[in-house]
Amino acid sequence: MSPETQAPHWEWYYIAMYFYIGGISAGAYFIGSLVELLGREKLREISRIAYYIAFPLICITPILLIADLGQPARFWHLFFYTKDITPYINHQSPLSVGTWALLIYSGMSFLSFLNVLVADGRLKSPALRSLLKLFNRIPHKVYAAIGSFFGFFVAGYTGVLLNTTARPLWEATDPLIGSLFIVSAASTGAAVIARALKRQNIVSGEMLERLELFDRVAMIFELLLIIMMVIIAGQYASPILRGWYGLMFWGGTVAVGILAPLWLNWSARRPTTSVNNPVLLGAVLILFGGALLRITLVQAGQIP
Amino acid sequence: MAKGMFVDTSICTGCKACQVACKEWNELPGEPAHFHKVPDRPYQVAINFTGNSYDNTGQLSATDWRHVRFIEQFNENRTEARWYFSSDSCKHCNDAGCLNACPVKAIVRTDMGNVFVQQDVCIGCKYCIPSCPYGVISFSEQSGTVHKCTLCNDRIHNGLGTACAKACPTGSISFGEVEELKKRADARLAQLKMRGFTKANIYGYTEAGSLNVFYLFMDEPSVYGQPEHPVVPQRRLFRSAAITVLTAVAMAVAALISFREQGTKKNGEVKP
Amino acid sequence: MIMGSNMAECHPVAFRWPLKAKTNHGAVLMHVDPRFTRTSALCDIHTPIRAGTDITFLGAIINHVINSHRWNTDPFFKEYVVNYTNAATLVNPDFKDTEDLNGVFSGLSADGKAYSYETWSYQRGPKPVPAVSEVKTFTDLLLQRVPGRPKTDPTLKNTHTVFQIVKKHYKRYTPEMVETICGCPKEMFLKVAETLLNNSGRDKTSNITYAVGWTQHTVGVQIIRAAAMLQALLGNIGRPGGGVLALRGHATIQGSTDIATLYHSLPGYLNMPDGRKNHETFKDFILTEAVPLSTSYWGNYPKFAVSYFKAQWGDAATKENNYGYDYHPKITGDHSHLPMMVDMMNGKIKGFFVMGQNPAVGGQNARYQRKALAKLDWMVVRDFFETETAAFWRNSPEVTEGEVKSSDIKTEVFFLPAAMVSEMEGSFTNTQRLLQQHEKAADPPDDARSDIWFTYHLGKQLKTMYAGSKNNLDWAIKNLYWEYEPEPPEVANFRIKDEPSAYKLLKEINGYTWEDKKPLPSFANLKEDGSTVCGAWIYTGVITEEGVNKARNREGDNWISPNWGFAWPANRHIMYNRASADLQGRPWSEKKKLVYWDPNKEVKDPTGKTILGSWVSPSGEGIDFLPTKAPAFRGRDNGIGFDWLSGNDPFIMRADGKAWLFAPSGLVDGPLPTHYEPYESPVQNLLHKQQANPVAKTWKVPGNPYHEVADPKYPIVVSTYRLTEHHLTGVMTRWLPWLAELMPELFCEISPELAAEKGIKNAEYMSIETARGIIQARALVTRRMRPFTINGKTVHEIGLPWHWGWQARAEGDVVNNLSVLVADPNVTIHEGKVFTCNVRAGKRGGAA
Repeated sequence: MSPETQAPHWEWYYIAMYFYIGGISAGAYFIGSLVELLGREKLREISRIAYYIAFPLICITPILLIADLGQPARFWHLFFYTKDITPYINHQSPLSVGTWALLIYSGMSFLSFLNVLVADGRLKSPALRSLLKLFNRIPHKVYAAIGSFFGFFVAGYTGVLLNTTARPLWEATDPLIGSLFIVSAASTGAAVIARALKRQNIVSGEMLERLELFDRVAMIFELLLIIMMVIIAGQYASPILRGWYGLMFWGGTVAVGILAPLWLNWSARRPTTSVNNPVLLGAVLILFGGALLRITLVQAGQIP
Repeated sequence: MAKGMFVDTSICTGCKACQVACKEWNELPGEPAHFHKVPDRPYQVAINFTGNSYDNTGQLSATDWRHVRFIEQFNENRTEARWYFSSDSCKHCNDAGCLNACPVKAIVRTDMGNVFVQQDVCIGCKYCIPSCPYGVISFSEQSGTVHKCTLCNDRIHNGLGTACAKACPTGSISFGEVEELKKRADARLAQLKMRGFTKANIYGYTEAGSLNVFYLFMDEPSVYGQPEHPVVPQRRLFRSAAITVLTAVAMAVAALISFREQGTKKNGEVKP
Repeated sequence: MIMGSNMAECHPVAFRWPLKAKTNHGAVLMHVDPRFTRTSALCDIHTPIRAGTDITFLGAIINHVINSHRWNTDPFFKEYVVNYTNAATLVNPDFKDTEDLNGVFSGLSADGKAYSYETWSYQRGPKPVPAVSEVKTFTDLLLQRVPGRPKTDPTLKNTHTVFQIVKKHYKRYTPEMVETICGCPKEMFLKVAETLLNNSGRDKTSNITYAVGWTQHTVGVQIIRAAAMLQALLGNIGRPGGGVLALRGHATIQGSTDIATLYHSLPGYLNMPDGRKNHETFKDFILTEAVPLSTSYWGNYPKFAVSYFKAQWGDAATKENNYGYDYHPKITGDHSHLPMMVDMMNGKIKGFFVMGQNPAVGGQNARYQRKALAKLDWMVVRDFFETETAAFWRNSPEVTEGEVKSSDIKTEVFFLPAAMVSEMEGSFTNTQRLLQQHEKAADPPDDARSDIWFTYHLGKQLKTMYAGSKNNLDWAIKNLYWEYEPEPPEVANFRIKDEPSAYKLLKEINGYTWEDKKPLPSFANLKEDGSTVCGAWIYTGVITEEGVNKARNREGDNWISPNWGFAWPANRHIMYNRASADLQGRPWSEKKKLVYWDPNKEVKDPTGKTILGSWVSPSGEGIDFLPTKAPAFRGRDNGIGFDWLSGNDPFIMRADGKAWLFAPSGLVDGPLPTHYEPYESPVQNLLHKQQANPVAKTWKVPGNPYHEVADPKYPIVVSTYRLTEHHLTGVMTRWLPWLAELMPELFCEISPELAAEKGIKNAEYMSIETARGIIQARALVTRRMRPFTINGKTVHEIGLPWHWGWQARAEGDVVNNLSVLVADPNVTIHEGKVFTCNVRAGKRGGAA
């Protein structure tokens, strides 16, 4: 372990929030595309919601990333090496690979977004319509599959990015943060779809049940990963074991964000059509916990 | 042929000429964090007294590219009395965490083996900063980019040596071909060991793919604030990527199970 | 042995060489010092001693050496000491040593303030018959007054021999005494003594290096004497790798004292005409100054002096007006810095030029000195930044704290910008007497000008103003030979066209024949008839032909390097190097060969005749001896200078040609170094009843209160010193951000023991107080400082670097607010290295 490393001074409202929002977008998209790929007509509302949410969310992320740069106007250097203007990728750098993945995922989710707009008769622009026609020569399921694949990337690479540094907390929790973020992305993705269903007054039924089942698996998996992570980190886990970050992590992410929803999920075994379906309350708590997960891991890794 | 520096801490007098020569050649300002405004004065006043021996620099930064460490080893009755000095800087690792991490190819290795930040390419993403096991490379709010020792890139490409080596009054810092410097270092280590300094060791032959700026220490590297066996972060990339992919697969399976077509539902409804 | 010096920190570039000697050649470096510094870190041995007890330590080494088996059996030592030092010389039987008189020597006046030398004199043989019967020249004056040769006992058995006196004087300086007085464990002391002893002799030499850690004491000169004595006893003087090296306190201060910015010297270490001495006429001056020294190379004093006066006034200096001697200023007292400030405080000084100096911070009892500045009518300050001295009237602590009102200070301050080192040309003279020419790289900005520009143009203006004056007082300036206009090539590349010619100045210093203006090749060419000009005889030889300045040479050879710069005198790097050969002129050993006698070498004498036999120096080192004088040569009893000195008298600047173990004259506080406590000390003198130097210079005036001996209010010893990162009062360094951030604030080094006793915490503020003032500093608690046990009592020491003032980017209290006006009686150097104080936790005003 290195006694002296420096923190990158990433602001929580840029980088940690990017990890969070990117994760939700990718998680939701994955669920939506899986449902479409499985051909589950009954659950198609899930797909529709997912494709509506994923792209707008991922549109926020470049703004956050670019704002955190020391030289924002140079963001395009991530794609082209300035000295010879050829496309550039650095396979040893999760940041480089992840940026390309984000680009591709954004493209795919854009196409899916256009598709649902068209399906709802909302796409007016002729330019976009003809663009979509061009792309639709290839079946949408292909884009959905590609999008899912790169979605996973977007969800998980951010954790790999943290682990591939020398900061004690991040080095010591290697190789688990990427896994943790993927699971959390899936969980928060499902949660946001559930809340969207509620807005459409769908407060029970198979869709919610499936989402809730998926989320339960995800949360248990998440809990196990967290415990494993803290164990392997040993003394270097201390930034998230004490102080404000400790409180945010164990009180926020774990207690409020995982344990409470699990308990709510358990009590939702009794069928209900109540608008106060505990699953839906649980979804809010999951979203809250997911935010704190990113914030604590990214920021606590930066305290001196 | 790779160029580098050999820092023989056994003949360092802690004079800090290296710190000042570096600032002078590279036209670096005083470290902004070390000064503050005082009313009625047209100049800022230095406030960085640390009480840590004679070291008020504290750490490397975007404007401090050299940092002399002071290590006092005294027991209560002073029968053990040692004061070690070591001038820390970028090690120009042959497997450089910062270079490996850079997503825009701002950090490159020149034909002389030194690791150099191209100021016109850097976007200030700051990912290289936590990727350095030595905590060297640092961000400047003023320029929006990262900075570190360049091994006097302009000087060495014009037949000169590094500014710090030139200023060093005792020759503790010497610049040259790395292979030649290693011979000198080995000879010096042998000489010290023969004189009874058994703890003396060379740091940098195997660390981080070998360091082009390497050291002769009189005690364990940890005494000098250096990691004993650093792992360049990217060497762990494969494992964490693999585990993450496995997790993704597991989540995909979980999703398949959660969203698949089912035969019966719990409340007895039969699905078509 | 490095003692009274922190070489690695204060002379870091020079320290390269001892360090190379250690790493490449197995040299042993020893550092004797109260503190463990960056020097100690790189030496093999650090030996701690209480500040101010250096003479005890050195005297004990002397005692150890002369009673040791090795010194008494290896024939080298006796051969060197008996023949090359005054060990065998017989001293006046009326002489009484400190051992006889409770710590003072015979000859102390009734009021105890001054010594007379009569009882310290040598026993001499009868006066010789003078070589001349008439006096035609100044030299004839000297030839008529040659004293009898000193009487000697080469067996060293006679109780009146210098050797026996020295032996008796240091008898009580035992390792036990070192432990008691210096607080240094016996074994550590013996290690140093044995190392020096075993590393001296035919095949090996040892060096002692010192700096202001020795000079800034009331016994400063005596401490240095003790080292010189020790080296003479060990046979280390005049030999490669030996000697006593003085590390001077400022860049080119060697040049500064050589060309005499000192009040009491003329250039080349001639004495200043002095109203208190018998200096009424030039003849009186020669008689008073030159006669006692005539049997050394100083026998050429008249030639040096006349050539100096001729340099001042050119054509206006004639035989008729004694070369202008009558118009030359004469001093009437001690006009050095400390008494000058006392005079200033008493309103006796109207105007003050302060050039590259900052007494508001650097002066002892700085509050006193700042108040003295307020008594001036006017002050001209030349520097690169507004110094505390220039700004004192508006923001000194006395003003900002309300003690003094700005409006009450009538001093008119003129602040003139000065050029920096690289903005002017001139020669630098390093501590080893090496002149190196220093080029001008660029013009200074705007109105900033070099010191020679300022002085030259000031002189020109004054000459013009006095041109019509008939007043004798104005003669000296009116008739100054002041022709240093630059030649066009010298200023071609620069904006400033009226910069005086550094070459012409150096040429005048070197000397030339007045008639044809041809440079003199050697000081042997100087004449006392006014035909030669020479600003400073010791520099003659730096320019031997027109346009060729040896100070520009840059050919090194990893040893003597005779073609690198020019070492005065006459490019001799190791003075008294005749002593590097034995009585027969053979090298003491092959390994330590430097100059030696070759009986078969053919040389031409001044008349052109070929003679056989000469001293040779294969390394190119200058021979510090008459090259054709054979070792067997016996000097003429009635001659002067080289004629009087024999072939075995290496110390050609001493009137007896020998190294002085005992100083019969020249020093005002005793012929032998004696342990005296510092003027302010927490302990009684454990060796003698006489506590401190009886003739130390003190100023018992209002505003300069002294502490009592073992004053319970001020029990802690304090030493002031320097760091690498800052220079003197910080004018050159505290304004630079790069240096300000290396050492930003005043701090005090304090041992953990003392810190615990006083509740002082590392990095927090503490206050230090004396009867003169109180300051605050950050505490740096470190085991590099240690308490000493003196005669069973614990004595604590603290250390204060004195670089800080209230202006500039790195600011802090003025350490010299604590010190007091007290000085060495020979040279009036302040005792800055040791005095007493008290400490407590918290800031000055009481806050934390």
